[in-house]
Amino acid sequence: MGSTLHNLLIGFGHVFEPLNLLVLLVGIVLGLLVAVLPGLTLVMGVVLALPFTYGMHVIPAIILLTAMYVSGTYAGAWTSILFRVPGEPMDVPLLWDGYTMARKGEAANALGWTLMSALGGGLVAAVVMVLLAQPIARIALTFSTPEYFAILFFGLASVVSLGGATLVNALISLFAGLLIATVGVDDTYGTHRFTFNVPLLSDGIDYLVVMVGAYGLGEVFLRLEQGFKSAPLQAIGQIKTRLPRLREMLAFKGTFFRGTLTGIIVGLVPGAGATVASFLSYGIESQYGKRRQEMGSGIPEGIIAPQTAATSSVGGAIIPLVTLGIPGSGATAIILGAFLLHGLQPGPQVFATSSNIVYAMFASVFVGIIVMCVIGYFAIKVLVRVLDFPEVIVSAYVVMMCILGAFAARHNVIDVWLMVIFGVFGYLFERFKFPITPLVLGVILGPLAESSFMTTMISHDNDWTVFFTRPVSGPLMVVAIITLVYPVLRHMRHKSKIPKH
Amino acid sequence: MTGGARFIRALPYVVAGAAAGYLYYVASNFQFHERPGTLGPDFWPEAILVLMIVTCLYKIVSGLVARNDAAEIGGVLEEIVEESVEEHTAGSPPGTPVVESHPYLLIAGMALTAGYVIFIQKLGFFIATALYLALFIVLGGYRRWGVVAAVSVAGTLLLLFFFMKVVYVSLPIGQEPFSAVTLFLMQVMGIR
Repeated sequence: MGSTLHNLLIGFGHVFEPLNLLVLLVGIVLGLLVAVLPGLTLVMGVVLALPFTYGMHVIPAIILLTAMYVSGTYAGAWTSILFRVPGEPMDVPLLWDGYTMARKGEAANALGWTLMSALGGGLVAAVVMVLLAQPIARIALTFSTPEYFAILFFGLASVVSLGGATLVNALISLFAGLLIATVGVDDTYGTHRFTFNVPLLSDGIDYLVVMVGAYGLGEVFLRLEQGFKSAPLQAIGQIKTRLPRLREMLAFKGTFFRGTLTGIIVGLVPGAGATVASFLSYGIESQYGKRRQEMGSGIPEGIIAPQTAATSSVGGAIIPLVTLGIPGSGATAIILGAFLLHGLQPGPQVFATSSNIVYAMFASVFVGIIVMCVIGYFAIKVLVRVLDFPEVIVSAYVVMMCILGAFAARHNVIDVWLMVIFGVFGYLFERFKFPITPLVLGVILGPLAESSFMTTMISHDNDWTVFFTRPVSGPLMVVAIITLVYPVLRHMRHKSKIPKH
Repeated sequence: MTGGARFIRALPYVVAGAAAGYLYYVASNFQFHERPGTLGPDFWPEAILVLMIVTCLYKIVSGLVARNDAAEIGGVLEEIVEESVEEHTAGSPPGTPVVESHPYLLIAGMALTAGYVIFIQKLGFFIATALYLALFIVLGGYRRWGVVAAVSVAGTLLLLFFFMKVVYVSLPIGQEPFSAVTLFLMQVMGIR
């Protein structure tokens, strides 16, 4: 505990270095803008910021992306409440009570509850993140390849089971991602796999190229097809934030607790990020809250529940990233990319090898949440004005950042071509309702899954039952299989309830 | 659902399944020295491809048999989200505008992006990017010409400066005579 606090203080020291603090401020403002701007999602924003980190040292690079991730979960709420335009999908639940409250003339109160929810939920989750990370990493140090494969299998199973619009499409998306990860020269045999005599493909397909294409360019193509028709901004009148008093907040401590807990747990699960946390938390409040009957009529619980969950999911999602090297969401996948670009592999050893970087990241979450709320309080009126900015201009620059991001990774135009191809795939995936997250996580986790599977097979004479007989990997494999089968059972139960006529 | 609609619905899975079949053929012809008792480098991709083919076949067959989308097995939390939205909005989420479709705009945008990647090596970063940005913005329906020119030229200069001077990314300078423009700008900005 003492060493954790000591390391955290060193982390704060890094964050408060003038350059890093400036980077954090830039990250916070960019994250807030990305969340407000139509046509730009949080993940896209973090993807587009990645090329700017190529020339940075690792600590400011991680601080920039983490700050964007944190603040990206907050500002979309403003446009939901004020203009009925959710900045991000996670902000849709805020329409039901937030916008209703604003229509009743209580916009300042609604914005105040949003701010305090983001602050409270975010900080509590950050404390949990700091307390849990090192013990989890210590346990993970005892793991061998079967356990690692089981964890990855569980992660991929939950991505498929939880996140996808349909189970089949999510499976196909995941398989495509795992397959892309096999392109290149095989580590064990030195065999060229799916390289089709293209020299650059011998080094494999950089997953950043896949992410930038699928998340960034694919989304722009989709918006272009829709003619960049975002909702026009209504006249901005008096925009103020009225912070609730401590006594008022204590009256909703149950809602704060439920929202934060939901956010942390959902954040821990791969594939279920801030959006799912926000909706799930609203759903829980609608079922178990004291004033569940009044949900949707413009009450603070309808704002606290989704916003605390959305922001606290950040702390939850960082835990598996840092301790196991497994990103649970699109945004953490990009942060993992930034770690790898700087020659660092997150995982159980990271606390021994690079604890200063990890604790700087943790500290940036704390500072980021506070700075984000201060900026949100004072600059909301200025920041929401970016809604007036023409979407097509933003999109043109998004494409440019995608191209530069792909090019800068290896200084090769073939990577740009690959990125464009994955952009078209990203568009087609969106169009035909194939989720992109399983594809991306398949590309990222595929090599690790393959190497842990193959190593286990070599060490245990191709006996695949070893995954089920070891004390840690066995239960994990069973839970993973249940995770995969559960949607099918749920579907069958749902179908049997529907009357035949 | 008509036969044509069912075919369109099955098309992505037919394409994905066929591609997986071809890649399986490629994987089964990987060149490597077999080691007795050890799985080869073809095992993992082949296993994935078999799973993909089976999934696509399941989808194609179930798509032909099922009458509507109700037969789809949804992701657990996705369904919770959808149910939650439906409960509160009786349909589409509030704030969601009616979605228009402009396929020609999409094709033009894709062609423009591909054209940019083709011509950037010849024209160099500055000319290709300024042209691309201007054309993309116009294609997207924006017609304030002064803003278009300013945003595309000034933005490209900023990107050129940042990536070449600050991040040290060696952007394409182009071929003669276009390279002269990039080289001149680099000289002005103090980029070596």
